[in-house]
Amino acid sequence: MSLFDKFRPLAEARASLGDHDIPPIATPIDDISSAAEGVIGGLPVILAGTNNYLGLTLDSEVVAAAREALEHFGTGTTGSRMANGSYRAHQALEREIAEAFGWPSAIVFSTGYQANLASISTLAGRDEPLLLDSDSHASIYDGARLGYAETVIFRHNDPDNLDRRLARLGERAKNALIVVEGLYSMLGDQPPLAEFVEIKQRHGAWLLLDEAHSFGAFGRQGLGLAEQLDLLDGVDFIVGTFSKSLGSIGGFCVSPHPELELMRLAARPYIFTASPSPAVIAGTRVALRKLVDGQPLRQQLWQNIHRLYAALNRLGYRLGSDQPGPVVAIILPDRATALAHWRGLLDVGVYANLMIPPATPKGMNLLRISLSAAHTSAHLDHIIESFEHLRLAA
Amino acid sequence: MTTTERIRHAIAEAVATSLPELQAVEFDAALTGDIGLDSVQIMDLVMEIEDRLDISIPVDILAEASTLNQLAIQIEALVKDDA
Repeated sequence: MSLFDKFRPLAEARASLGDHDIPPIATPIDDISSAAEGVIGGLPVILAGTNNYLGLTLDSEVVAAAREALEHFGTGTTGSRMANGSYRAHQALEREIAEAFGWPSAIVFSTGYQANLASISTLAGRDEPLLLDSDSHASIYDGARLGYAETVIFRHNDPDNLDRRLARLGERAKNALIVVEGLYSMLGDQPPLAEFVEIKQRHGAWLLLDEAHSFGAFGRQGLGLAEQLDLLDGVDFIVGTFSKSLGSIGGFCVSPHPELELMRLAARPYIFTASPSPAVIAGTRVALRKLVDGQPLRQQLWQNIHRLYAALNRLGYRLGSDQPGPVVAIILPDRATALAHWRGLLDVGVYANLMIPPATPKGMNLLRISLSAAHTSAHLDHIIESFEHLRLAA
Repeated sequence: MTTTERIRHAIAEAVATSLPELQAVEFDAALTGDIGLDSVQIMDLVMEIEDRLDISIPVDILAEASTLNQLAIQIEALVKDDA
């Protein structure tokens, strides 16, 4: 009997992936050469699984701003936002996020995970109704648990299913928080947001949209799916992360409701943790400006997206979504095939993500590509040729 | 049909729909240990049951139910509370 016995199924699942020097889970990256290239197992690879949608991690101005803040302010704030961890730059970034949306309030968190954890656990308090899409990210489920909300799950991307659950709540629906994502990170699919907004408005409920993977990629200013669909007026809270399109680490919640500010007084994942380091904040501020003005980056990103989608469809792969987006999920019949694809790609210099149950919906085995504006036409040529060879070998 | 029978019938149908690979519906089997369901499969099963009974089942109920029998008892209590 051991405290560690309960981890045995996880250990068995990991063992089923083999004991190769380069593991498909938590793959060690030896070096980074650019936003789109690195070194794994001593060999150069195209990074096609890093969520670096705009390729801003090594942008010279972003790096310079982070370096300057690092040298001036030091390595960390050593404190919570509620104590000594609120520098002027933290507040400036919050103002800049709010201004980008044209809303009165934004709060910055130390990670994207904490942004959801804090927002959901605080907005949906004990016994208050909370409705989550079944494919929600773990941070959303964990936020539900932390707040002791009365959590009900509705079928993934199913407006009628949500509608029925809100109807059962009766008058309580007016105090219900609905949470959906702008782009689901496993299958790369998008929600029927206009229908969700209509249902939310009809029941008088509240809607939180997690734009972690859609921020930067969708909308003229890159603000996400709600901007792209002209639905910002129908959303109450948008949560986002700095660790994808903005290329750093951290997260935010932004809202048209000025009362969002009150959340600072109650959100445990905001209060009881150190604030983001000055270098992270400085780099993120420059990256945010580049994201908002980043139409050429988005043009390049979408060119890459359409190219890869077309090629994978031509090759007959089953994809997680028929709506093209920066996350491209290839559904493979079983774990062995998915693992063979992952290793086959790595062998020819393409790093993607292997995604297996229980992280995936409906027990799917996936190979996930995330595209970037930093991918060149030659990168796409090589990725597509690699899939052609894998298809021929199958 | 009594409420208990209606709930057990809905659970059996939901298991058959969402877990067709199971040969039989065993109400005493542990959902994770004996049947080997992961959290996503349990969630799918609960959504099937919700649709069949036209109720919403809060997820914290699942923490109290490690078998289908226990789930049936929790759902019955929920239905009575709502009545």
